[in-house]
Amino acid sequence: MTAVSERQQLAYIASQAADMRVNVELETEGMTLNIGPQHPATHGTLRIIVKLDGEQVVAADPVPGYMHRGYEKLSEVRTYPQVTTLINRIDWLGSFANEVPFILAAERLMEVEAPPRAQWIRTILFELSRIANVALFLGDMAVQLGAVTPVFYAFRDREYVLNLIESATGGRFHPNFDRIGGLKDDLPKGWIAETNQVMQKVQAFCDELDALLLGNEIFNVRTRGIGVVPAEVAQSYGLSGANLRASGVDWDHRRDTPCGLVYDKLDWKVWTHPDGDSYARYWVRLQEVREAAKMVVQLCDGLPPGPIMAKVPRIIKVPAGEAWAVTENPLGEMGYYIVSKGDLVPDRVKIRSASFNNISIVPWLLRGVYVPDVISILASLYFILGDIDR
Amino acid sequence: MGLVESGKLPKPLTKLLNISRKYSMWVYQWGLACCAIEMGSAFASPRYDVMRLGVIPFPASPRQADLVVISGTVTDKMAPAIRRLYEQMPDPKYVISMGSCANCGGPYWDSYSVTKGVDQIIPVDVYVPGCPPRPEALLEGIVLLQEMVANEDMAAKWKGEPLVVN
Amino acid sequence: MSRLSSTDTDSPESDAPVDTARTALLEALAGEFGDAVLGTHLDPGRDVWARVHTDAWEAVGRFLRDGLDCRYFCYLSAVDWLPSPFGRSMDSDVDNLLEGVGAKEPEPMTHGVTGGDTRFQLIARVYSIAAHLGVHLKVDVPDDTHTIASWTRVYGGANWHERETFEMFGITFDGHPSLRKLYLPGDFEGFPLRKDFPLVSRLVKPWPGIVDVEGMPGVADDEGGDPS
Repeated sequence: MTAVSERQQLAYIASQAADMRVNVELETEGMTLNIGPQHPATHGTLRIIVKLDGEQVVAADPVPGYMHRGYEKLSEVRTYPQVTTLINRIDWLGSFANEVPFILAAERLMEVEAPPRAQWIRTILFELSRIANVALFLGDMAVQLGAVTPVFYAFRDREYVLNLIESATGGRFHPNFDRIGGLKDDLPKGWIAETNQVMQKVQAFCDELDALLLGNEIFNVRTRGIGVVPAEVAQSYGLSGANLRASGVDWDHRRDTPCGLVYDKLDWKVWTHPDGDSYARYWVRLQEVREAAKMVVQLCDGLPPGPIMAKVPRIIKVPAGEAWAVTENPLGEMGYYIVSKGDLVPDRVKIRSASFNNISIVPWLLRGVYVPDVISILASLYFILGDIDR
Repeated sequence: MGLVESGKLPKPLTKLLNISRKYSMWVYQWGLACCAIEMGSAFASPRYDVMRLGVIPFPASPRQADLVVISGTVTDKMAPAIRRLYEQMPDPKYVISMGSCANCGGPYWDSYSVTKGVDQIIPVDVYVPGCPPRPEALLEGIVLLQEMVANEDMAAKWKGEPLVVN
Repeated sequence: MSRLSSTDTDSPESDAPVDTARTALLEALAGEFGDAVLGTHLDPGRDVWARVHTDAWEAVGRFLRDGLDCRYFCYLSAVDWLPSPFGRSMDSDVDNLLEGVGAKEPEPMTHGVTGGDTRFQLIARVYSIAAHLGVHLKVDVPDDTHTIASWTRVYGGANWHERETFEMFGITFDGHPSLRKLYLPGDFEGFPLRKDFPLVSRLVKPWPGIVDVEGMPGVADDEGGDPS
């Protein structure tokens, strides 16, 4: 028996009573809050119906589909070169990265391989689209937590990267530059020197955000310990990309799945974070932009000479068969499962997009959190609506 | 301003009012797809800086907006929401349709879920073509709309009916 | 067409590379389920497919997750093997409209790797992160009921994927907690990804032509080749 003084007992009773009063006074009837389909905090057209008990979320039900455009059906009535035009628009921030796995799968069925120079340029553009994509996340997440400045920085430095992509491919947003067997064109003159300069700017941008945000107390309070995803749950929901690595799972297709890109020839690092919270997801993405900038510099240094197009027929008919190709896109694992019946058009294209899986965890993750944390969690999961709805 | 409602506004006054309206456009952003990012570049990035045209982005609600930019693919599921947004805006209101999808369906012209043009739901004043249009193209669309507003005859626009907010 | 119509297991040729990890995975699966594994296919060094019996679907998922450490759920979807009655929707014949598009004689139904008996097949992929090994699973969906066991009790992520498959193909999942539409508005009729679902815009406004030829960089002749 522990001796508890009368004074302590009274204090305990008083505190219990105070708690009770707070609970009684703040008690509310259940409320349903509809966020979206068009709301600044959903960055896109995701609609979330949240059932609230006071300030706490009891159940959350995301309603996607406001951007469903039917890519899989439309791919069945388009020839292979026409499909790349379409799938550019799935993840519209990192468009080039959408083309690559589709082209790789088609190349696998046709048993052609792009020449080395084309593979290197593909990797360069792939990483540039990663920077263009994730840089906007780095600013956007801050703006959702109330800090407006970083988004201006993000838009400013993103323009440099978009200029690079545009001068190489002709398209600012949707390059449509990848071809079965190689690339449409070679890099323009002077592009490499300019790229090296821009990559310094990207590194400076990352340092700037690091200094602005990661040490910021408000940012830390809003993100640390918020929206924790354990590794086991993350795997069962198929989270990928930085969301998975922020839960401590060391897995990156660029390193672990050999495909037609040249990551194995580069010196880089896969970053993971053990915490699995919003902060970890932000931190991992910041490191990834840094790594991507480093990679682009290395790729520009080692760019081999040679042709950029393998021998392929002018009218592309893909032999019958099934192929699956996957790459580590800015948002996570993106794969295409192509079923071909030996025609000009694919018979079935299954698009496995990262955001669809990443956001399917939301009902599980939002249960029990407070309303302000909903914003922080959704922002840190980072989705593109086109990538969810397809 | 009984003059506006009666439709008997003198010409110089019309001109003055039109100039004032043209340089204080509050634009509501209805970002839907890829175009939304280019619209974001035009509205929120330091390089394009839409405010120098007298256009003020990011109002708190459609109730205080003069202009809405529909940027991106309009799906059949989204269409009712757009209609409701338009009805919430006070007169006189203007619509810019940005990008091929909002203009006519664009690359999704044969899709089963995409509305073939936002003009099937709400009236559009300026179409900006492109997939997506560059931010400069959107700025030009805004300038075109401002020209239109500058030459507008207010009496024709309102027909003497009182201003009503739906 | 040989690869498409083959329903047998993989027939390793003498010069084919050996893929021990994926072969071991197939053997473990066959050892656990025996006759319920209806067909397998191995693309050495790249990928592996296994077709299982409809009744064993949920048990296979559990075994993969717990027995083979494939805890990462990648995706789940379906394939409609029916040849499209509308062709490629690209043959810009006015005759199609006059004679009715459905009047064409459909081609015989063919199945992909690992074969199949039904019109619809589910296809799913799970992955073992520790072993860096993924496996594609296929399962026939009965033609009469279009119903199959749900994977939601095995993989949490299967929930949305099954809702999508339900909406796009009309396949029902037994044991799914809330099987309702995911993408389309509530009053939408039909299952878009079925081959007999027409794209109405294509029917009323035919595609101008299927040939889409772009010149290769740097060359003007008919063959692709080195750019200058």
